[in-house]
Amino acid sequence: MIATIDPVIAAWDADVDWPLMEEQAVTDPSAQFEEQALPFMDQLYAAAMRMTRNPADAADLVQETFVKAFASWSSFTQGTNLKAWLYRILTNTYINTYRKKQREPYQGTIDDLEDWQLGGAESTTASSSRSAEAEAIDRMPASAVKDALQSIPEDFRLAVYFADVEGFAYQEIADIMKTPIGTVMSRLHRGRRLLRDLLADYANERGIAMPPTRSKK
Amino acid sequence: MSDCGCDKARQSLEEYLRNEVCKTEHSDIREHLETCPACQEEAVISRTLTDVVARACKETVPEELRDQVLARLREAQSAAHA
Repeated sequence: MIATIDPVIAAWDADVDWPLMEEQAVTDPSAQFEEQALPFMDQLYAAAMRMTRNPADAADLVQETFVKAFASWSSFTQGTNLKAWLYRILTNTYINTYRKKQREPYQGTIDDLEDWQLGGAESTTASSSRSAEAEAIDRMPASAVKDALQSIPEDFRLAVYFADVEGFAYQEIADIMKTPIGTVMSRLHRGRRLLRDLLADYANERGIAMPPTRSKK
Repeated sequence: MSDCGCDKARQSLEEYLRNEVCKTEHSDIREHLETCPACQEEAVISRTLTDVVARACKETVPEELRDQVLARLREAQSAAHA
């Protein structure tokens, strides 16, 4: 309606996105943060559980993550990937705070180890039993899967988690873990290979019909 | 087995399933999968592994933690406004 009143005002008006400005002025950053970030709490907690391996540390990590995210909320660009942004904060916080408490023997050099040193070599399954393997994996209890995930080296575990649970793209994982994409791929492959072998072991130990994966030495 | 496309398909299978390969490679692998039952089964295992991990890792935030996070945020908010 305004456009018909005065051409000068109309032209000026067109350059300014009034609804957007109004929204920015009206929306309180705290409310905006809570509305947008809090829905990711379950996901972040699940990731924190896999990182810290215990509910108390996971709870602390989630709290720290939200406090830090809120403190730097003004640096988040609306319209970009909020989930990835939150995961970056979560991962940084974890690495800087909690990882120090939970030293693992291979930490830092895990990417340099050869597959045979990790115990999980490229293995092949006889073609007749592949469908049995898929079925056995599918029936694996959640606790067994979590145990297996918990026992693989941390960098592999995180890569697998980011890709398989969160569905992040390789580039996003590379940004979150601050590593080149090639490293992400290698961690993912090796992590999944170890996981597959561990699940096969689990199934075999319990007499679940599953072919042993044979390692090429 | 090595010259029927299996090696290449196996090597990039995970990237293929995650849509991380270029178009040419994607169609090469897709074509191979259409005709190779063994690689199809590998793809099923790979997808199943992803599904099983995703399923196992679901968690719900304890109510207590949700309250704690909100309390910490309110604290930070009032500190910012002070």
